[in-house]
Amino acid sequence: MSISRAARIKRYSLEHKLETSLFPFLSIFLCVMGVLSFINVLSSFSAPQKIELTAQLEQGYKVAYQIFSLPDGIISLPPVKHLKKLQEAVDDADKETIADIMRRRQSAIRRLKKHSGAIMNAAIEPDIDEILEVLHDIRSLNEMALKANYLYEEFLLFGIYPNGGQAYQKIRDIMSFTQDARSISVGLEPLDSNWTLNLKKTDSEAQ
Amino acid sequence: MKNLISLDSLTDIVSNSVGILIIFAVINLIHDNNKTYQLEIPLEHATDLSPVFFIAKDDRILAMDTDKLFSNAALQATSGAAGGKRIFALDFFGLFGQIDEDKGISFYARDTSQWPEFHELEKRNSDLRKKLNSIDPAKQFAYFFVYDNSEDGATAGSGFEAFRKAREYLKAHYVKTGWQPVNSEAPANICDSAYSSRCIYLPSYLGGGSTAK
Repeated sequence: MSISRAARIKRYSLEHKLETSLFPFLSIFLCVMGVLSFINVLSSFSAPQKIELTAQLEQGYKVAYQIFSLPDGIISLPPVKHLKKLQEAVDDADKETIADIMRRRQSAIRRLKKHSGAIMNAAIEPDIDEILEVLHDIRSLNEMALKANYLYEEFLLFGIYPNGGQAYQKIRDIMSFTQDARSISVGLEPLDSNWTLNLKKTDSEAQ
Repeated sequence: MKNLISLDSLTDIVSNSVGILIIFAVINLIHDNNKTYQLEIPLEHATDLSPVFFIAKDDRILAMDTDKLFSNAALQATSGAAGGKRIFALDFFGLFGQIDEDKGISFYARDTSQWPEFHELEKRNSDLRKKLNSIDPAKQFAYFFVYDNSEDGATAGSGFEAFRKAREYLKAHYVKTGWQPVNSEAPANICDSAYSSRCIYLPSYLGGGSTAK
């Protein structure tokens, strides 16, 4: 008796059932997982965490004029957030002075924002006249706030990056011979080279 | 017919675990990218406290025995070895000195191998810890000359990490600290404020501490 074609095919397929092997998949999967874990562990040990610094820094009524000292020079980050309110509190003569300071500071921030590439490459050599102007502005603002009985005080906060001590020393030299610097509080902090500056925050707050 | 072990459950477990790990990694990455660090606000201020000087370099901290250093420098000066702004050995942990009318005594730290490493702060009976513990917060504060130079690939200046750890330790013991960055071109120097306005060593107070948002 001859077996029908359909029955032959059925028997054939039962005998040679297609079996999927999961071994290659698992092997590749575990390898990828192992490599990823290794990279993760390695990076957590070798690369310190990257930290962004806030551009606007204040504590109570004390507001920081931040100067970041890098090997190639400095990045100045003036505060502008509270100047409008200060402007409202002072008399007419001082209003114009504050407006002028605000204009200069906003243009400095815009210049930084326009800088293409990493912001930390925007460092420039500290210029004596510019430093003197910064010190004079801070002193004027503090005196105007005091005169108007408005709680506001700016201070200089230096962020010192590795190999950035030279620019800092230059500014301190300038500060040692100007009267404007006498009344300005100063702070300084050591920073690591992977701590970057977040300018987005300054920009949104400056509006 | 072969008896195959079913790998379905194993694959399922492994896939789920990897999926969860990936989700954690992504969350971690997003969290890290948004991390913003506010600088501490350490403001220098005038004080009646007297400074105890330290040098931080190559992850090591040296407590400066100023009495010994000044007497050694005076000996060198009287013997003529310190004339003409010559750099001379101070016989104190590899320090060299230079006497300058404007800057007082400058200290060059060339060999730091004998200095205690800042990790010794974690050891209970280490000399470094004893030295820091000996500072009386009612009368003294710690002033650090911190080397800012970094080797290729290093993220911090050679004395930054040591200084941060020491400051943290001293803060916990209510001791104020002050510091300034130094390097081989602008070395640590101690002078009298009567000679120059740059010879002022002030402590800082840390307002509020650091916060990560």
